[in-house]
Amino acid sequence: MSFFGFDTARHNPAAAGFSQAHDPFAGLSNREDEGDALEFEETYDGLGDQLEETGDAFNDDTFGDTAGLQSGPVGKDFDFFGQTAKVANVIEEEHVRFNRQQPAAKPSQPTTQPATQGPSQGSTSRVSYGYVPQQATQKPARTGYEKYSSEPVADLQVDASLWGVAPKKQAQPAASPAPATTQTSAPPNRKVLSLEEVEAQMRAQAKKAAQQATPSPAPQPTATPSAPQPQVPHQMQYEQAYKFPQHPQSQAALQADRTRHDQAFAPGHGHPVTILQRPQSKQAPSPQSPAQPATHLRQQSSAPIQPTQILQNPNRLSGDAVRLGIRQHATSTVPVSIPTHPMHRQQGSFSRQPQIITHPSQLAQLSEEEKAAYLEQEAKRAKRNHKIFLMSRDNGIMTPQDKSFVTRIQLQQLVAATGNPNDHGTDESLAEDFYYQVHSQIQGSQRQHPSQPLNNFAQTYLFQTGSRQGGMRRHHRGPENHMQRMEQQVQRAVEAAKNKPKNKQLVIEGSLGKISFSNAKTPKPLLNIKRTESTGEAHRPGSAHKHSSNGGDRKSDLRSIELIYTTLMKMEDHDRVMPPPPANDADAEAIQKYVTWNSEAQILNGKLWESLRIHDHPANGRVHPFIALLSYSKGMKAMQRISRHLTHEQRTTILTLIVVNLDSLDVVRNAQVNSGPMQLNAAMRENVELFSGAVMPTLFNILNELDLDLVAGVLGLVCTRNVDVIAKSRIGASMLTMILSRAEIIKHGGGGSEPSWRSWDMTYTQFFELIEPTLTHMFPGPVTAGDDIYVWQLLAALGIGAGPDQQQRLVLAVKDRVMDTVALSKTLPQDLAAQRLQNVNLFMRSIGLDVELLQ
Amino acid sequence: MLFFSFFKTLIDHEVTVELKNDIQIRGVLKSVDQYLNIKLDNIQVLEELKYPHLSAVKNVFIRGSVVRYVHLPASAVDIPLLEDATRREAASQAGKGK
Repeated sequence: MSFFGFDTARHNPAAAGFSQAHDPFAGLSNREDEGDALEFEETYDGLGDQLEETGDAFNDDTFGDTAGLQSGPVGKDFDFFGQTAKVANVIEEEHVRFNRQQPAAKPSQPTTQPATQGPSQGSTSRVSYGYVPQQATQKPARTGYEKYSSEPVADLQVDASLWGVAPKKQAQPAASPAPATTQTSAPPNRKVLSLEEVEAQMRAQAKKAAQQATPSPAPQPTATPSAPQPQVPHQMQYEQAYKFPQHPQSQAALQADRTRHDQAFAPGHGHPVTILQRPQSKQAPSPQSPAQPATHLRQQSSAPIQPTQILQNPNRLSGDAVRLGIRQHATSTVPVSIPTHPMHRQQGSFSRQPQIITHPSQLAQLSEEEKAAYLEQEAKRAKRNHKIFLMSRDNGIMTPQDKSFVTRIQLQQLVAATGNPNDHGTDESLAEDFYYQVHSQIQGSQRQHPSQPLNNFAQTYLFQTGSRQGGMRRHHRGPENHMQRMEQQVQRAVEAAKNKPKNKQLVIEGSLGKISFSNAKTPKPLLNIKRTESTGEAHRPGSAHKHSSNGGDRKSDLRSIELIYTTLMKMEDHDRVMPPPPANDADAEAIQKYVTWNSEAQILNGKLWESLRIHDHPANGRVHPFIALLSYSKGMKAMQRISRHLTHEQRTTILTLIVVNLDSLDVVRNAQVNSGPMQLNAAMRENVELFSGAVMPTLFNILNELDLDLVAGVLGLVCTRNVDVIAKSRIGASMLTMILSRAEIIKHGGGGSEPSWRSWDMTYTQFFELIEPTLTHMFPGPVTAGDDIYVWQLLAALGIGAGPDQQQRLVLAVKDRVMDTVALSKTLPQDLAAQRLQNVNLFMRSIGLDVELLQ
Repeated sequence: MLFFSFFKTLIDHEVTVELKNDIQIRGVLKSVDQYLNIKLDNIQVLEELKYPHLSAVKNVFIRGSVVRYVHLPASAVDIPLLEDATRREAASQAGKGK
């Protein structure tokens, strides 16, 4: 029966290709013999046999047991890989053949032949020899390495199974009765075997098979009943030899080898790879060996030792095998433990650098692995030395000058790529690195960070050395060390780069496109979002300020604040490039520059003034836009900077505007005190703080520039507003204090004309009338709350300017508070009490009294 | 370049770097580059018990992309200046965008 149901009988063994493939091992794999039933029973519980499924009959064919007739012994060494691979090949072949529309009768007979032949061959002997022989008969002598071995042997197996090489099949049966030797090698004990043992058995079987196939001249310790057709394999092998010239030899070697192994290797010694491949390397010796037993002994000891070499390059050694073999024969008396040494030496001499043999004595004492490692190392070292030698020819080709020249060029390129170190302080680098530049200026520019970021390390380097040497460098150039020259070079290159028009793109002559490059400071923009001015402004992040109901559109307010800032920054930039005022009238260019600068400054000032929206008129019921700006923290913060860039008139205008709108200021209107505990929310308190910190000083400065007329005018403006509201806020009260105290200061300074003083007094009286009802309600919270110093300040400012009558009214209005505070101070700790009393005393002294009098 | 510029001023200050894997490392900022890679010296890991493997580490180089937060020493930050720097950055970005 055949796997595909082809008629195997019609197979023509004489067809081309059928007889070529001989596999020394094939005998193992294709020797499917019958009579295994007994062994099978022993090794297998037979449960599988109880399954009655149709089609099971061919399972063995399918899965590797070519002895299809018996649902035969599977054995423990069933080779899934090999079998499957074989079948896969068969299937492939079938495909091809089917596609060719050929009558598929011929090819696929691999499995059938063993099957048919099986029964005729020593089934009896198999049985009698028990377990091990059974293994030998079993198909799966494959190890799984077949695919990888380069030997024809492995290929042949596949071919044979594919094409059903008739002659081979015949040869293999011949080998099959091999069991004779197994008497020694096969362990009688049939317990569970280890992997090594199994492998060893397999090997042993393989050897036996080969051994039996050939007439073994060596007197075997075991009386081997030779196979019925011992010569057949030989012939077949020689037939194959035309394809593989080495083969006859290797076959003989193989046999010898196997015998050797049979003798020496008891199961348990595992070197599958060696065994598979060794035959090639030893083809020559065995047939020639006159005294086989001796060689066997020696070789068998050496054989397992060198498997790796053989595996690595079987072909390389094969050529030398004859020599090798001869030598070995000559030295066959060498004790078993050492024999590897000469061999290795020779191998080394064949394949590796000659230096390896320079220390044979040392080598001899090394273990196998050490030797291998040593050789490897040696080869590596030699390679390296060779390389060094090759390179050493170029030694000294560059002088130190050359090297420094190259370094200079490299540094120069680096600087060109990363930017100009001398840009420091100019607008461009300031724009890039504004914070750092300004911050380090503020913090003291001497502070050089040793570990400054390295994106422009050349820059840093130059910067540091440059600043260290400063202008001295030009004069003081003694020894031309190359660092200095490099520095100069870079400087020059930088100058050139600065003069060269800045180009973001490089157009190489002859190239078809532009190469746009980026550097660390200006990376290539990946996103290029175009947006209009207005939207750009709109997306500015605003401060997280809650804008209350003072009518303005928060977004537009924030936008105008940003506009103010932008203008401010422009003005500041512009200030920095202010040219020195022309020394004399003759310097037309300088004058021209100065005039240009001035006109630009004028334009910017106009822009800033416009952006402040001082002259805007609020839409009905709305807060003035400028006042609205002052309800944002960044609007407040801008005040100081704004005032620096404004003219005196503009500043006065601002002050006037603020005073006029004092009661609609966010921090006044929404920060009213009441008699109860202060309940300002945190944001408002913060705002008040900020306002008094950022805006009040500015206003104070502006106010201090004013003369008495204007102060009186300002106070008059206050009177037109809701004085009650103003006085009941901290900011408002402070403003009033400021105005009043300014007048006092002018008075002390002897300023002001008589009419202006009269007008001031009138205004003051009017103001006093207005504020009097509020006086008792100005204090923030109850007496215990504290934090009322600003009220006492206002009272003091009022008291100083007040007439005796007004002073009395003042005292009457705040008498309770004074008494309460004094009483409270007695219960307070010393320092706290002193502070409270001091606050009160501000007022008391202003009217010529003292708290001491009250105690 | 704003952040780079900013972090440059924090060199030799102690900062706490919080990584995206929640590890917080406090140390002296030794160096920063334009990718905001960070070099820290004398580091100390917060919640050291949780990350014992870092207790022996003295200094670290942190890839900028793994940083979640950098806790700044408030005293070393010039806020108005930073605000202005931000405005300049925004202005230059807007200028480039056009």
